[in-house]
Amino acid sequence: MLNRHILERVLLRAMSGGADFAEIFAERSRSSSISYVDSRIESIYDNTLSGVGIRAFLGVRTVYASTTDITEEGLMLCAASVAEAIGGGRADQNIVLSERITPNIHPVRIVPSDSLTGFAADLLKAGCQAAAGYDKRIIQVQGRLMTNDRNILIANSEGLYITDRSVRTRIAISAIASDGTENQTGSASPGALMGLEFFEEHMPEEIGRRAAEQAITNLEAVYCRAGKMTVAIESGFGGVLFHEACGHSLEATSVAIGASQMAGKLGQKIANEKVTVVDDGTIPGGWGSMNIDDEGNPARRNVLIENGVLKSYMIDRLGSRRMGLPVTGNSRRENYSFEPTSRMTNTFILNGPDRNEDIIASIEYGLYAKEMGGGSVNPLTGAFNFSVREGYMIRNGKICEAVRGASLIGTGSQILENIDMVGQNQACGEGMCGSRSGSVPVGVGQPLIRMTGLTVGGR
Amino acid sequence: MIDFEELKAELIKAAAAAGIEQYEIYYQLIRDASAETFRDEISGFSFGVSGGICFRCISGGRMGYAATELMTPGEMHELVIRAHENAKHIENDDEVFIYPGSPKYGQKTREADKFPDAALLKNNALALQRNTYAKSKHVTDGTQSQVFAFETETRICNSMGLDLKNTAGATGGYTRAVVKVNGESADDYDFTLGCGLDSLLPLSDNAVSGALAKIGAGEIDSGKYDIIIGGRQMQGLLAAFSSVFSGKSARLGLSLLAGKEGCEVASSCITITDDPFDPNCPMQTTFDAEGVAVYTKNVIEKGILKTLLYDLTNAKKAGVGSTGNASKGSYASTVGISPFCLSIRPGEYSLEELFRIVRSGLYVTEIKGLHAGANHATGDFSVECAGFLIEGGRRGQPVKSFTIAGNFYGLLRSITHVGNKVEYGMPSGFTVFASPAVLVRDISVAGK
Repeated sequence: MLNRHILERVLLRAMSGGADFAEIFAERSRSSSISYVDSRIESIYDNTLSGVGIRAFLGVRTVYASTTDITEEGLMLCAASVAEAIGGGRADQNIVLSERITPNIHPVRIVPSDSLTGFAADLLKAGCQAAAGYDKRIIQVQGRLMTNDRNILIANSEGLYITDRSVRTRIAISAIASDGTENQTGSASPGALMGLEFFEEHMPEEIGRRAAEQAITNLEAVYCRAGKMTVAIESGFGGVLFHEACGHSLEATSVAIGASQMAGKLGQKIANEKVTVVDDGTIPGGWGSMNIDDEGNPARRNVLIENGVLKSYMIDRLGSRRMGLPVTGNSRRENYSFEPTSRMTNTFILNGPDRNEDIIASIEYGLYAKEMGGGSVNPLTGAFNFSVREGYMIRNGKICEAVRGASLIGTGSQILENIDMVGQNQACGEGMCGSRSGSVPVGVGQPLIRMTGLTVGGR
Repeated sequence: MIDFEELKAELIKAAAAAGIEQYEIYYQLIRDASAETFRDEISGFSFGVSGGICFRCISGGRMGYAATELMTPGEMHELVIRAHENAKHIENDDEVFIYPGSPKYGQKTREADKFPDAALLKNNALALQRNTYAKSKHVTDGTQSQVFAFETETRICNSMGLDLKNTAGATGGYTRAVVKVNGESADDYDFTLGCGLDSLLPLSDNAVSGALAKIGAGEIDSGKYDIIIGGRQMQGLLAAFSSVFSGKSARLGLSLLAGKEGCEVASSCITITDDPFDPNCPMQTTFDAEGVAVYTKNVIEKGILKTLLYDLTNAKKAGVGSTGNASKGSYASTVGISPFCLSIRPGEYSLEELFRIVRSGLYVTEIKGLHAGANHATGDFSVECAGFLIEGGRRGQPVKSFTIAGNFYGLLRSITHVGNKVEYGMPSGFTVFASPAVLVRDISVAGK
């Protein structure tokens, strides 16, 4: 990692145009990806990412520059460009960096390395072969095992000097089922802020079978009928609905510039009183967890909504300046080439008062979304859309035939009010979230919930 | 920073030391800059240089890859060893190639835009933002404008003596107008290539009028509708399902176009062309990610599937030649297959004529959730939309919060009329999609 005295000089140079704050984010990461398709390991590649991002503030004006040239000369050139672009005058500063140690709350036992490539390939193969062997109608299985070993250093003009290392592992298996005339898919893709010890608790064979089972279910499913109906969304990745429909509207990125339906609503009741939501970056080994955020703040557990009342936004340093509220440990970026902004970590609805069996029994006609796909939202209007990866009709309080091709649309404020039953089997799922600062790993979660009056897209 | 020639020499030396005879060095350097606004000022300016080197080599008949951004001589030696080691664990016995070069490479119709300086980006972003605010008193906070530039330098050198270089780049701008009328908010955006004010300022009108037109949008009943899908939305659908044209997807059973060359797969009014030298395609190259010459081809011609898209390995498996469509998502990626400029060719109808033909239906001007609501393996889609009613053969009231659902393969067959104005999406790497508006009958719509 970079010498502290060089960093002090670079920070001073970045502030020499009159900036009131400067920050250096240095990264060296090693990622690897093993792919399986057509009954064999198809490709393996790895990549070393190495670069530095330099950011300066003058009030709420920011300049961000990134470079792969990590020599002192390269960094000074980059800092000089930042100073020139921020403008505003000249500032004389004295910066003394002092190291801050943050405890590692996500220890890793089996760090992925070149010598473990064969071992990792065998794990992936075991999962994919289990999917292929699940049913003779499975005609193709694709899989990928990805690891990332990320080392970062953050230094800023307030004297902060901090380093961190995080290791993530994820497996994604996708199965295609065919009856000779049409194809259907199923997938499973768990991951964690862990090394390869992740597979001690998550057997690859089980993950493969889950993907295959879903593909067969969808092959036998009928097309979902369209219309407004009551929807029960299962625990775990079902939490993606809150993530998209409401979570993004609570990020300073949109709140601070007034482009969020949730702006100005702190302390107001915005959801059914059964709804309490937290964003928690401290869950040990959680896919969206971290020791520190990408501005060097310790990860935190923030209550966003408590019994229906909006308690907190998710705020990064720039958002903090704009909103006059403290940072919340939510600043994140894909890598050094992205300027950080406020992002979610692991966001989930907590358990509520309703028994799961009562939720299903209460629905006369509706949809049971057992597994959600991805979605997106317009934070301004709260309008969202989601695909349902595995769904079933509910009739007279009973889960009936499987349906395919369903999507859910609505607005965030509407669903928060319309979540009227919250179950007791809270669990988390894993996803990648794309936004201004790139694609970052996030956890999403909830117990089984019931929502009324949701528009279900189908045929 | 060490220059490419020096790193290349280190890689060649390391490959020789490891006994590797067949290899390729892929180098890419990306430069980008953008200025963005908030209210009446530049809120952010960013610029960067990124990129790296990918070394791939044939070892025991398998292709191993390794990539890095760390540009040091020591890392080059590591890179060679890692690629060589990675190859050992691969089980894929498809024939792999290091390509000696095509006899002839085509001519680009568009060179890289000149990379603008910071002042121009900032000044024009601010001018665009002010112009957007000036269009209506209803424009409010959340309105943002951005002007950007990017440039990519690519080199491919290999052990067969191939040494190719390409520089491509583009500039562009974007404005998103947020309007508030009687407590109701709506937004719309427009983008363009080019960062001169003559290209940028017209965006404000489109974004503001688009946002204002959404105020008062109602909901519609579920049912079957005849719809016109706008050009920009149809290019999005084409992009979401573009992998169905990949020869590799077909071979793996992931595309229902497998084995359909020469068969009717779309309505006779549909011709889809991949034209790397389309003058509207800003990021042009004369060679693909394996060094094969790119060329223009009809993928579907008057409804008949003429060819799928291939790289060298998948072409060999299919018993055809490469179509010059090998691609890399980034310098570090393994070789995949992508089109360059895939477009539905224009028909003869103006938008107004399409409205008159439909008489009663829906005009879809916004599609969201394609990344999640489109299933490549099945062709099924179910996506959130907004747009306008078509009433009495004219554009009517705005409508929102409905979904359209169908199947991409079926959609291609159900298009009855094609508009005469092609709209282009934003390029992603060397790929861009384009389409005119299309008229489709009897689409399932879910509303209130």
